[in-house]
Amino acid sequence: MKTRVKSKALEAFVEAAETIVNPQLKKWIEQGGKVMGYFCCYAPEEVITAAGMVPFRVRATGSTSTELADAYLTNINCSFCRHAFNMGLRGDYDFLEAVVWLNNCDHIRRIYDNWRRKVGTPLAHMMSLPKLTTDKQVGWWREELAILKEALEKHLGITITNEKLRRAIKTHNETRRLLRQLYELRRKDNPPITGADTLAVVIASTAMPREQFNKMLAELLDELKGAEVTKDYKYRLMLVSSILDDPKYVKVIEDLGGLVVTDSMCFGSRMFWADVDEKAKDPLDALARYYIQVKPACPRMFGGFLQRSKFVMDMVKEFKVDGIIGLRMVFCDLWAGELFMQEKDLQTASIPVLHMDREYLMAGTIGQARTRVQAFMESIGGER
Amino acid sequence: MTGRSMNDKCLQKLVQERDMLGMMVETFTKTSTGIDLHYVPTKAFVDHHNEIIRRYISGEPFITSYFCCAPEIYTAMDLPWNTFLTPAFTGAITPTFHDEIDASGKMFTGMDLCTIIRLAGYYVEEDLVPPPTAVIAMIHPCDGINVVHQVMAKNEKWNKIPVFGADPPYWEDERSYEYYADELKKMVEFLQKHTGLPLDTSRLREVIKESNKQITLWQEWNDLRRAVPCPHGGGMGLEMFGEATTVHTGMPVGTAWMKDVIADAESLVRQGKGAVPKERIRLFWFDILSLGLTLELFPWLEQEWGAVVAMEMFGYSPYTQIDTSTEDSMFRGLAVRALHEVPMIRQARGVADLFLTDIERIVKDWKIDCVVYPGYMGHKDGSGSAGLMREKCRELGVPFLYIGMDLFDDRYTTLDELKDKFSKFFTSMGMG
Ligand code: SF4
Ligand code: SF4
Repeated sequence: MKTRVKSKALEAFVEAAETIVNPQLKKWIEQGGKVMGYFCCYAPEEVITAAGMVPFRVRATGSTSTELADAYLTNINCSFCRHAFNMGLRGDYDFLEAVVWLNNCDHIRRIYDNWRRKVGTPLAHMMSLPKLTTDKQVGWWREELAILKEALEKHLGITITNEKLRRAIKTHNETRRLLRQLYELRRKDNPPITGADTLAVVIASTAMPREQFNKMLAELLDELKGAEVTKDYKYRLMLVSSILDDPKYVKVIEDLGGLVVTDSMCFGSRMFWADVDEKAKDPLDALARYYIQVKPACPRMFGGFLQRSKFVMDMVKEFKVDGIIGLRMVFCDLWAGELFMQEKDLQTASIPVLHMDREYLMAGTIGQARTRVQAFMESIGGER
Repeated sequence: MTGRSMNDKCLQKLVQERDMLGMMVETFTKTSTGIDLHYVPTKAFVDHHNEIIRRYISGEPFITSYFCCAPEIYTAMDLPWNTFLTPAFTGAITPTFHDEIDASGKMFTGMDLCTIIRLAGYYVEEDLVPPPTAVIAMIHPCDGINVVHQVMAKNEKWNKIPVFGADPPYWEDERSYEYYADELKKMVEFLQKHTGLPLDTSRLREVIKESNKQITLWQEWNDLRRAVPCPHGGGMGLEMFGEATTVHTGMPVGTAWMKDVIADAESLVRQGKGAVPKERIRLFWFDILSLGLTLELFPWLEQEWGAVVAMEMFGYSPYTQIDTSTEDSMFRGLAVRALHEVPMIRQARGVADLFLTDIERIVKDWKIDCVVYPGYMGHKDGSGSAGLMREKCRELGVPFLYIGMDLFDDRYTTLDELKDKFSKFFTSMGMG
């Protein structure tokens, strides 16, 4: 039986993951605060924070249909994108002052084209994210950051000083540091928090005013000290995936007896496994380097597979992982290739692996997933 | 001695494709104007395949690359290049094609990954592509191509082959062109290093000048296609593209063929003869073309509906002339071409606006009666622009058909289903 420690902070995080506008964000908006949406963890949250806005990673939590979006996108577009755009069209994202996109994948980049024409967000900004990771690309990305900064300054009538950027970097590094501490606790034999709840915390970190989030997470970390709530699981699992923003999906896996102890996900470790250099002379330089060269890469970055594979292998060792579940959103080409390559490496290393396709809404694929996860765990054998 | 021979498994597909094309070459006949329109481009592919086979066996350099990676440079370096994507295009004449598609689907997590990409990955994994001296990876305009090059670089047989991918910016502006021109210069350094072949600037200038001529001729030919009836249908657009950007880029033999095609078109226009005897509908086919389409669907559209493909994505030639005055101007021009002008890359790589402006231009200039966006299952970005395209067509007052098909796997949407869709569409629009 997995339970949850009694914690107000954790309850708030779970609520944040289940809603779009959580109470903390609502309060911020009511007090006149602005919010800027983004779609991918390569988006430079720090610049948004330095502009005085709360960065909010767009999800489609609570969406049940795509009827409005279907007039623009088609059934071969990733269901996350269809639901998120549908919510934009419905007005669920009217609270956003601005949204930033990157050319991260073929689906999301087209949301930009549609959104800027069809959803009335005051500022829709696109950035050109390189696919290579040499110093030349760091230079390009720095320019893109400067263009974003200028666009925000112009739009909001403000100046984003280096000081503000430095402060924002500190705040976001603090979020990263705290999230890593949370993951540290999951290395234990009996972690004090489940994978589903951890995902809720990570999601909340992209949806709340950050300083407030940091305070709450620090509280939660205190509350988790010495707690052991996950004793009777059979296997320690790792998730490898693109966007997975539904803790209930993880709960289904955990209810079958596997405890998710770590991940390589973009609502997960890839967001916070490294820090931005706080000592760098030029904060934009530091940010550019972080996003292009330091942050654990995603498959859309060309030529980084070995590094990504090592990241997964290291996690397996550090978190004593018994098996990996790789998840791919149907129609996602980037992850089709990634999971194919990864399977080879994992098989060579004799690490059990299960790859599954999923749709954004759990209802579509969860029944089959349940059966496959069950069979997978049986195949791992040798319960702990 | 390389220890390589004609019997090597990796040559199988290339030989198979060469032989199929060779058989086609034998069957071509001259048009009423006395020109054999298809001989030169098809024979060029046969010769190209032979040259790749020869180089593979002898160990002489050849590379893997694409039409959108500045092929003018390869011509200038006398460096043949092989695109491992072609088997998908000629699959319709390959007996084992369906089995290969199915096997590729089992290899990757699913069948929804672009069929060309899936097949290409499968061919590499199955050792059915001759490993080149070096790979110029294409990492745009879609996720699929980025992915397959990563798969390729990881393959046990290919992971020692040097790879270069030019980093593509998302914009079309001076900053991006400059950035990409520098990437192309890096590509040249890479090629010189790994193939041992030099790039001579004056030779590059000569090739680009010839290629500029080809672009002019291509545009002249397209101007002739504005005529009603349209002298040449969709298949020719693909061949024109092939000559200008693949097999004969910047080569006088391609230029000469283009002149012949123009002469043929001119003569037909003068006589008031169209590609379709009784032209009733002028289509804009806004996607890639496969041999299967040109052999089966297009002839049916012509016969049944009097529908001619008056313009297609790959036949459209919105190119500008490259300034050959300096080395920098040439690289800048090649960057503009590679990012902003070559078909598909032009529309798919950056923001969706070019899908819309191209529709507008083509509908007006080529007197298009309907725009067909096939909704190829591999083109996720295009499908993500389908609604905007539909709106643009509505604004222009021209019917828009979105199909949802696999341009290569004829089981995805069968020929009969396609015919049915077209018939219903034409009927409901009161066309034909
Ligand atoms: S999978 Fe990669 S590209 Fe897609 S949203 Fe996540 S980090 Fe961004
Ligand atoms: S899951 Fe894949 S296709 Fe969907 S948004 Fe993320 S990267 Fe794009």
